[in-house]
Amino acid sequence: MTMSHAIEVQGIGKRYGDGPLVLDGIDFHAKAGEFVSFVGPSGCGKSTLFNIITGLLAPTEGRVLVNGTDTTGNPNRSIGYVLQKDLLMPWRTIMQNVVLGLEVHGVPRREARERASALFDTYHLSGREDSYPGQLSGGMRQRAALMRTMVTDPDIILMDEAYKALDYPLKIQLESELMDTVKAAGKTVVFVTHDIEEAVTLSDRVYVLKAHPGQVVQEIEIDLGTDSHAINERRLAPAFNDYYEAIWRSIGTGSRTERAA
Amino acid sequence: MTAIQIEEAATGAVRTAPERRTRPRSSRRRSVLVSIQIAIVVAFLAAWQIGASAGWISTFLFSSPGQIVTVLAQNTGTGELWTDLGVTAQEVLIGFVIGALGGSLLGLLLWYSRFVADLSAPFITAIGSIPVLAVAPMMIIWFGTGLVSKVVIVAFSCVIVSLTNAYRGAQKVDTDLLDLMRSFGSSKTQAFTKAIVPGAMSWVIAGLKLNVGFAIIGAVVGEFISSSAGVGHMIVTGSSSFAMNQVLAGVVVVMAMVLVFGLLIDLLERILLRWDHR
Repeated sequence: MTMSHAIEVQGIGKRYGDGPLVLDGIDFHAKAGEFVSFVGPSGCGKSTLFNIITGLLAPTEGRVLVNGTDTTGNPNRSIGYVLQKDLLMPWRTIMQNVVLGLEVHGVPRREARERASALFDTYHLSGREDSYPGQLSGGMRQRAALMRTMVTDPDIILMDEAYKALDYPLKIQLESELMDTVKAAGKTVVFVTHDIEEAVTLSDRVYVLKAHPGQVVQEIEIDLGTDSHAINERRLAPAFNDYYEAIWRSIGTGSRTERAA
Repeated sequence: MTAIQIEEAATGAVRTAPERRTRPRSSRRRSVLVSIQIAIVVAFLAAWQIGASAGWISTFLFSSPGQIVTVLAQNTGTGELWTDLGVTAQEVLIGFVIGALGGSLLGLLLWYSRFVADLSAPFITAIGSIPVLAVAPMMIIWFGTGLVSKVVIVAFSCVIVSLTNAYRGAQKVDTDLLDLMRSFGSSKTQAFTKAIVPGAMSWVIAGLKLNVGFAIIGAVVGEFISSSAGVGHMIVTGSSSFAMNQVLAGVVVVMAMVLVFGLLIDLLERILLRWDHR
């Protein structure tokens, strides 16, 4: 088949200097519009993998294809990312922060502001355009960070523990909003987390990683049998527990193998 | 209530509650502090003046507030004070712009090359360890007794502090922020102007603040060695003729200059770091 995936990672291995392998033979792909998660224990190289996919870090071996083009080691405009840290610039207003990517891309100021203005409603930040990040709550800042990524209209959104620092109700709220937005816009999402529940409720597919070195131990298709984007409803879907257990067991197997080795 | 409303309500409470509680208390505390500070100055000046008038304090050695004011009034009348002030202010301003602003810019630019920064580090430390007093006479020999030598001395007094502060500020900018810039496909210059310069600004301002004092010391030192006008000239001619009135009047002028200059930098800070003043 010649159709290329939105993102495809082939045989990624990474070691820092002469150190041990952090990642070993990672293969994965995400189809356009698919929501794919990586779950694994700490030390499984999630963040390293994340940086390799964004192109900020070059792998020791293997390659990264975005829409069929080799982007290994080069940041690519089709990929946007959101981290746990919102990384808003404290000296910029929310509006100025949101248009940062457009500014870098050379979009004229006015057009950039118009494009950003249209999003403030969707992200529940209307009236906060001229606030500084220091005046906003954690949830609002995380929304602003997502806006900053979405306004550049990337095909693929990478998220690294994006909601880890938020309290539970807010996390559920933002994740439901996230699903609404990315599904409506047909975005491909690669979501990195250590939280199994988060992975099951959000994803179409989950890759389970093990640590030392980071390797994929299992790939699980998720079908919760509901079209709802509300996380609390997805969480209560009958199929949820089976997936949760399967991933839990899979992570357990990974760490046992590690101990045996 | 939806989660958003709960969140909004919660943050609203967090934002306003402590302000309401602390603002009156901190402003009351501040006014108490300022009142005591003024009282100390007034008491000191009064004791000095009374002591001098009663003959307990030698006015030949220590002058008196009244005599200092008289000298200031006389020099204002003749226009001499404005000439001295103008000369010193000019030296300080030009030297400060070249030394402190130039040093800050250099320090920020060092971010571009870690190699150049590491290469120059020991030289910067070495130059920074030279006391101005030691090289000022040489500057006078090189650049003459006029404005240029004083400007060079002032600039020399400021440059290293601003340079090292600005460089450190640039290094302190969150590397994740630079990754974010790169992920948008930014050039190094875009990262510099959009992340490094504003990110390091509080360090740059801190350097400028330190340099207010150093710049004025530099100008006065230069004038001590050789000059025909300026506040330092006023002080040095005063002390050579045992006119303590004039010496102390000069000191008062120097203090006033530092104060005003410091306020200007505070104003600059309020403008450049307004996001931090909310």
